[in-house]
Amino acid sequence: MKGKRIRILAGEILFLLLTIICWIPIYYFVIGAFKERRDIVKYPLKISPDLFTVENFTYVWKKMDFLKTLGNTAFITVMALVIVIICSALAGFAIARIKRRIFMVYYSLLVALMVVPFIGCVISLVVLSNRMNLYNSLWGCVLIQAAWNMPFAVFLYTGFMGGLPKELEEAAYIDGCSTVQVFARIFLPLQAPVTATCCIRCGIGMWNDYLVSNSLLNSARTPTLMVGIQQFFGAYVSEYGYAFAGIILASLPILVMFVFLQKYFIKGLVAGAVKG
Amino acid sequence: MKKKMTFERKRTVTGACFLLPSAILCLIFVIVPLVDIFRYSVYEWNGVGSNMKFVGLANFLRLPSTEGFWEMAKATVIYVVGVTILVIVIAFLLALVLDLKGKGRINRNFLRAMWFVPCLLSGAIVGILWRIMYNYNNGLINTLIGYLNLPKVNWLETYGVTMGAVIVASVWCQIGMCTIIFLAGLQSIPEDLLEVARIDGASYFQQLRKIVIPMMASSITINVITTTIAAFKAYELPYLVSNGLPGYSTRLLTQRIYFYGFRSMDYGTASALSVVLIIIITLISLLQLVVLKRREDIY
Repeated sequence: MKGKRIRILAGEILFLLLTIICWIPIYYFVIGAFKERRDIVKYPLKISPDLFTVENFTYVWKKMDFLKTLGNTAFITVMALVIVIICSALAGFAIARIKRRIFMVYYSLLVALMVVPFIGCVISLVVLSNRMNLYNSLWGCVLIQAAWNMPFAVFLYTGFMGGLPKELEEAAYIDGCSTVQVFARIFLPLQAPVTATCCIRCGIGMWNDYLVSNSLLNSARTPTLMVGIQQFFGAYVSEYGYAFAGIILASLPILVMFVFLQKYFIKGLVAGAVKG
Repeated sequence: MKKKMTFERKRTVTGACFLLPSAILCLIFVIVPLVDIFRYSVYEWNGVGSNMKFVGLANFLRLPSTEGFWEMAKATVIYVVGVTILVIVIAFLLALVLDLKGKGRINRNFLRAMWFVPCLLSGAIVGILWRIMYNYNNGLINTLIGYLNLPKVNWLETYGVTMGAVIVASVWCQIGMCTIIFLAGLQSIPEDLLEVARIDGASYFQQLRKIVIPMMASSITINVITTTIAAFKAYELPYLVSNGLPGYSTRLLTQRIYFYGFRSMDYGTASALSVVLIIIITLISLLQLVVLKRREDIY
């Protein structure tokens, strides 16, 4: 019995050690953001009040025009999410509750579109957005993000709507409700869980996006967070402290949300990974 | 009877209107570009102006002889295979450890969250972070090696080594996700099945081999295929870690699309390369659908 307990203890210590190793990069950039460059190089893992500085953050805040950059990212993410949620809730209702064969064909087509990799269409999307005068426009980015997240969101909503009991709508139809009323009064208020999943799954992707905004926005005039960070602290970075401060500022919103909504995050992302 | 018809027809019309917004968006921004990329791949074109010359399959036929193509294809394959194998193996072991219950163990929810955090960071951020850590003179990794009195390694400019470095960075930020899916699979294995095996005297490894792994087949398939596809699509992370250097040894084909399209303004070749990638990824995904259909799995 005692031997078993020691084995468990040894295993747990080893596992904890591995977890710490996995966290070294995160620890390194978090404390590095509060140090000057030479201290990052000299004492990479040391915490000491003597090394503390917030100068990195004030520099990055000014240099990156941080509020504007954050605003661009937030605008794209929020607007695209709103569009995705409205459109896919409508589509999911039609596919799962009205049930016409032609709607099912449409659904299969959308599901098939989930396979298409964005990187494969970057070239033609740039040409297209140039022609539509959407190049370097935040709204262009919003629409493209919304469209590329739509198949997956419709898939989520259709699954959820299909799982709701039939009795829900029957009584309402007998009482003379129109289809629109049934959707708005009965189904819409029930969508909170799937909307949370959709927001988390699509929202993280939009917030962390680099490829879409890098190809479709002028990175000097309308930078988003990830593109801005790459611009200032990418390939030839030498000012580590600034880069780390930028990294923290850009990922903080998602990390903070993760701490508070951990359960929903993991559930939402798994739902996303299984068919995504 | 007549009233019922109009009611049903009304519902059809309403439904069609409900589908319209999503249909319009996907048509304009997904389907049209998808058709366009196939169309552009048979033209010689610089991306602006109407000066398009039809060249048939010439863009495709030229691809294999373009500079560095085979090195990049090799790099892509090594990257995809390396990332997939490492992510799957590590995530599986991690899920097994995270699934252990019993007295004297650390809180599993906490540890699971710890391993999950890297997945939340943007690929761009992970790329910049690891590039700094790999720096020859000032990076964290060489500093740590220095503490052990070992010689420094030039992580970002050594043939062979750099690819490993890029793979490690990618694996680091993808393990958490696969682990969560494996955990979901592990938790769906009925407890009494393992109980019976234990009573019959099966050791942990026998249980693992005879019960756990076969029951996990579907989550293993899902993870393998999603990881493979993600690795094929990877762009910013490998690009920001190594910038494709040294030579073409860590340059992936996705990075080449960018180069042809936006540096050398050769939209025809860029489109041809895109089409090749789309076809590869579609084939892998079809495989996924077939396997999933056949398994009728837990999800």
